[in-house]
Amino acid sequence: MVRKILFALALAGAASPLAATPLNVRVVDASGRPVRDAVVTLYPSGLVRSAHPSGRYVVAQQGLQFRPFLTVVPVGADVSFPNLDPTKHHVYSFSSAKRFELKLFAKDQSRIVHFDKPGVVALGCNIHDQMSAFIVVTDSAWTARTNAQGYASFNDAPNAPARMTVWHPYLRAPGGLIQQAIAPTQRSLNFQVRLRPPPPAMAMTDY
Amino acid sequence: MGCVARRLRNGRAIPLGCALAALWPMPALAEARLFTSDAFELTADGRLVAVGGEKSWVDDGFGKLRSGDDDDLRVQPQLGNVSLAWQPQFTWSLGAVVVGEIEGGQRTEAGLSQAYLTFRPMRSDRMAFSARVGLMWPPVSLEHEGADWHVKDSITPSAINSWIGEEVRPLAAEGTVAASLGAHKLRATGALIAANDTSGTLLTFRGWALHDRTTLAFNRQPLPPLDPAIAGYQAPYTHPLLDVGPGFAHRPGYYAKLAWQPPAPVRIELFRYDNGANPEAVDAHLEWGWRTRFNDLGLVANLGSGMELKAQAMQGRTKMGYPDNGRRWIDNRFRAGYVLLTRPFGSYSATARVDAFGTRNHGSDVDSEYDEHGWSAMLAGKRDWRHFSGLVEMLHVWSDNPSREHAGLPFRQGQTQLQAEVRMHW
Repeated sequence: MVRKILFALALAGAASPLAATPLNVRVVDASGRPVRDAVVTLYPSGLVRSAHPSGRYVVAQQGLQFRPFLTVVPVGADVSFPNLDPTKHHVYSFSSAKRFELKLFAKDQSRIVHFDKPGVVALGCNIHDQMSAFIVVTDSAWTARTNAQGYASFNDAPNAPARMTVWHPYLRAPGGLIQQAIAPTQRSLNFQVRLRPPPPAMAMTDY
Repeated sequence: MGCVARRLRNGRAIPLGCALAALWPMPALAEARLFTSDAFELTADGRLVAVGGEKSWVDDGFGKLRSGDDDDLRVQPQLGNVSLAWQPQFTWSLGAVVVGEIEGGQRTEAGLSQAYLTFRPMRSDRMAFSARVGLMWPPVSLEHEGADWHVKDSITPSAINSWIGEEVRPLAAEGTVAASLGAHKLRATGALIAANDTSGTLLTFRGWALHDRTTLAFNRQPLPPLDPAIAGYQAPYTHPLLDVGPGFAHRPGYYAKLAWQPPAPVRIELFRYDNGANPEAVDAHLEWGWRTRFNDLGLVANLGSGMELKAQAMQGRTKMGYPDNGRRWIDNRFRAGYVLLTRPFGSYSATARVDAFGTRNHGSDVDSEYDEHGWSAMLAGKRDWRHFSGLVEMLHVWSDNPSREHAGLPFRQGQTQLQAEVRMHW
């Protein structure tokens, strides 16, 4: 009888959602300065929760730049690329997460791209060399980007063993990504990363 | 090409039409955007000019500026430059740029400014290729931008880029390869050129100048009063777009450029030009081939807070005529340089530039009596709105050039010009 009760309790524990508590992450550079726009993703062990696309995702071309520079979207998102510049753009990506090109489109025209695989998508313009931006396509609902103080917070991080990744476009690591295993009791983490200087935003075009 | 040559020799019509006929890609018409609103760009400027000093070179004088009339200070409203740029897209990778322009001021002219085809296929992961064919300015100037080739930060460009606008616009077939090597960016450009055989004529007889009046295709530029001995074999004008000698592109020239951007906010450019002209060739109108070669070194640096430094230095040589006791009639070594600093203040920007320029002549007919030394200083302010820009500019230029004495003028002249301009762009 006791064994039956224990088995029932164990089943109930496995079937119920894990308890979740806030988890705070801080990313700083080699000098201890906060790193903004690092994308922090949590993969709890044995638990998958994908984010679902909601709202509009927009990467505009304005002032011969992509705006915003960094966008985080869930797998399955449609991102629109409106051209707000008076000149034409030819947006492309060679990234394995999404290879595409949007052949010349003019002011006030827009194109939509569907992102169906997780990964980092580096954007460029075939006409304007200095244009650069990134889209991080995530398959985890626990994805956040660091703010100006270098903090990213998860209000409902499961109390479970997990793997955490930190990505930044200028992070000195293969693919700009580092990862760390975290214990269920760890509710606060600090990452110190080494960054490359951002490439100068200078045009190399002659005409 | 025979079609282009015939029309060039006749001195009329646009060579682009012939080139288009040869290169038009028939299957891709579905992607064409020929007459949509985004294919057109109109820019125009009006300005108020206050200037004193000598008569402008535009009116056959020796004056270095676009305006000036041997008078005391004059203030006059002027139409500046009006450009209509047509940039059709035949396919997503093949397009064209055709620019018609009206230039106002002391002499009003209208004509074709540039006309070329562009080809820009999709780049690969590490490399990009692009090409242009037609009538175009070579990529020398760090001060000009846009299809209409307007001056970005001021009204008046430097002596170097004023001369490029006057005498260095060939028919060219140009290819560019851009590549990234780690954090370094490299860009190499090479071109075969023709129909720029007279380049150097104006620079030798008038000297350097500072103005935003570019030579329109097939139009001519006046020369200042020539020494009577020279006037016997040299026309009193020059057509910068001209093939002197038998056949079209009989002696093609070239230009080449290498640009390097290290992982720092700096870009360095090296440019080499040789028009390949025969200095002994002359046509029935007494326009000669001038063998002109020059090197140009350019630097662009972002200094932080949006502040930008630009600098160019040019050194070259042009020769014309037959050898006489081991020296050609004209052998002019020229050099110029400038440093420009621009700083933004919100939607305003301020620009300062200093220029130095000179020529040294070692020809058998034109010797040191045509040597020139000069400098200029410029301060400009700019305010941008959506479709308008407002600019004010003060420029002083000083030069000594003994050839002024042939016209009974003091060889040393200084000139100050104040301009206020409203520039519109749609």
